[in-house]
Amino acid sequence: MKITKLFTLLVTLWIVSMCVVPSVDAQPIVLGVPSARAFAEGKTTEEATILAVEEINSLGGVLVGNVRRPLKVEIMDTRDLEAGVPVSEALLVVERLILDKGAHFIVGGPIRTEAYNAAMDLFFKHKKISIVNTGVYSPGTAKRIADNYDKYKYCFRVTGHVGVELLMELPEILKMLQEKHKLDTAFVMVQDVAHARASGDIAAKKFPEWGWKVVGHEIFPTGATDFSLALSKTKKEKAQFIWLWADMPETAILINQWYDLKVPALIAGYFRPAQDPGFWEITKGKCAYIIAAVLSAGNVPTKVTPWAARYVDAYIKRWKTEPTGYSTASAYMSVYVLKDAIERAGTLDTDAVLAALEKTDLKGGVYGRIRFDPKSHDIIRKLDPEEGALGCWFQWQDGKRVAIFPPKVATGTLKIPPWMM
Amino acid sequence: MKVMRGYLMDVFVYGLINSVVLILMAAGFSIVYGISRLPNFAHGALYVLTGFVTWIFLRKLGLNYPAAIVLALAITALIGAAIYQFFLVRIRGMEASEIIGSFAVGLAIMESLRWRGFIGHGFAIPVFIDGSIGIGGVIVDFQRIIIVGAGLAITVSLWVFTHYTKIGLSLRGIAQDERAAMMLGIDSDWTAVISLALGSALAGLGAVMILPMGNINVEAGYNVLIFAVAVCILGGLGSWTGTLIASFLLGYAQTLTVAYIAFHYQMVVAMAAILLTLILKPSGLLGRQKELEERV
Repeated sequence: MKITKLFTLLVTLWIVSMCVVPSVDAQPIVLGVPSARAFAEGKTTEEATILAVEEINSLGGVLVGNVRRPLKVEIMDTRDLEAGVPVSEALLVVERLILDKGAHFIVGGPIRTEAYNAAMDLFFKHKKISIVNTGVYSPGTAKRIADNYDKYKYCFRVTGHVGVELLMELPEILKMLQEKHKLDTAFVMVQDVAHARASGDIAAKKFPEWGWKVVGHEIFPTGATDFSLALSKTKKEKAQFIWLWADMPETAILINQWYDLKVPALIAGYFRPAQDPGFWEITKGKCAYIIAAVLSAGNVPTKVTPWAARYVDAYIKRWKTEPTGYSTASAYMSVYVLKDAIERAGTLDTDAVLAALEKTDLKGGVYGRIRFDPKSHDIIRKLDPEEGALGCWFQWQDGKRVAIFPPKVATGTLKIPPWMM
Repeated sequence: MKVMRGYLMDVFVYGLINSVVLILMAAGFSIVYGISRLPNFAHGALYVLTGFVTWIFLRKLGLNYPAAIVLALAITALIGAAIYQFFLVRIRGMEASEIIGSFAVGLAIMESLRWRGFIGHGFAIPVFIDGSIGIGGVIVDFQRIIIVGAGLAITVSLWVFTHYTKIGLSLRGIAQDERAAMMLGIDSDWTAVISLALGSALAGLGAVMILPMGNINVEAGYNVLIFAVAVCILGGLGSWTGTLIASFLLGYAQTLTVAYIAFHYQMVVAMAAILLTLILKPSGLLGRQKELEERV
């Protein structure tokens, strides 16, 4: 009798479980990830994408209609960050991901703006949705989508563009430096590449409008290994603030020299190597007090939302390092944004998922609320995580990347180097 | 004029440092070509390889710093010798093939490094002594002072080696007249192996001196190769004295450009030096191999 009851109970449980949890044996949803694999940007983006996919798959996958389907990642190397590699290489990779690997959606790159802009025509040709989550930080990409919506509507961006850092966040930081620390003299120092030169030009034009005096504007060549003269100029011109924008690894030399020369000017801006957790060790602590933008909160440890804290723990557990670079959080969230849209659409049909993505309103994400501008498909960035996606500026303090701006994300306060006092 | 005076000491001190950095970058390339007439376009790759090998010994295997450096230099020298023994020896004398072949070896080394995960900004080796001092009001870190010392030491050591040791004299013999040297019993292939090993070790020595100032990245290999080629073309391929003079000319030209024209023209100086030399005096300042053609 007991055996019969136990058998009945097991059969009932099996039937109930079959009804509640849909089958996971369904065909996978293929995510094509174009990535510059020889570069840190590509590596970190891949890691964050894999983490999100593993988390989703461990919970049964993505619910498409009433079927749970696992995600499968197909990564291919676009090489678009390598010198001398033509854009056409990246386009071939995107097309191979779609045609050979059968990617249902594209998340990731190409990373370089010109490569991504060229790939936008492929997304139109194949009617494939692309969520770019790294690089491609030009306002021009969003404008292109808005100006030609019918053609480029398949493209979404979960990071934002450089205008947000320069025109929305930077003025607030400068205001804080002026009011709290009485700084008002700036020196612009940028790398000789298009995005950095543009940042330098905007800064040189806008700083006076924000009440700052610009006493110098240096553009250093890619690969430069000595910055002593430029730093001497900042000293002689009595600059109190250096606006720095660069992506070359040699920026570490600049920071070392800045410390050794005890240049009495606070350094802030975007400089790629400084974003990595290992930069303190690389510079032996000489990077203390420098301020760097990481584009999205979550790329440094914050507790801006409960998910942000969970994400950092999960990232450390999986990859044995804190989130690094400027696009781990956006790569991670892009997978969840897509999952959310597919589940609301209930199908993998491009038009249906596209319509769902346009209506995305994901609250409490790793870097706040995620919504897209209906015309440009660019993420809506705000200074409040309840209203939009959050950027993040951190300062190196005692070996840690301490988030200092926006206030909602801050885990510490800005400090001034002792030799400036 | 006031502005110029303001940077004069900076220009003098950092011009000297830049010049010695260029000597360290170009010494290996110049020595190999000077002795064996082999353009070693794997030079930049050997430079970054030494940096990464030192990093592995230091960080992964826990060796002390001097031991890590010595072992890394020894490995680079062996790789240099192997490049000749197993690869360049087969195409020796075919100049275009030598260039393409050695460049291919360099590419293979650098791409292999990427393939094995040496990407990103997280690789660095420490400075020998931390801190800085003032020289005539210009603050200079100790690593750069060590670089200047190392540059001088290398120059003197190479002179002593090539003038007072048996191997050095045989290398000079081959460099001066290969056929005559062979008639006197000096093995041309053996000296080429030695020159590749020595040149590779010098590239590595440049790396362990220069890389502690920043971090190690594969792309640096291309920059080092460009600077080495620029210095050697300006100085005259194969001329060690020309290499020294060209390093100082380029080093000071670059520093003056940064101080008084614009920082971003610094790289243009190296390229302009190559172009102007090839147009005005293809043999370079002290090179000889094209002088007859130039006269004609």
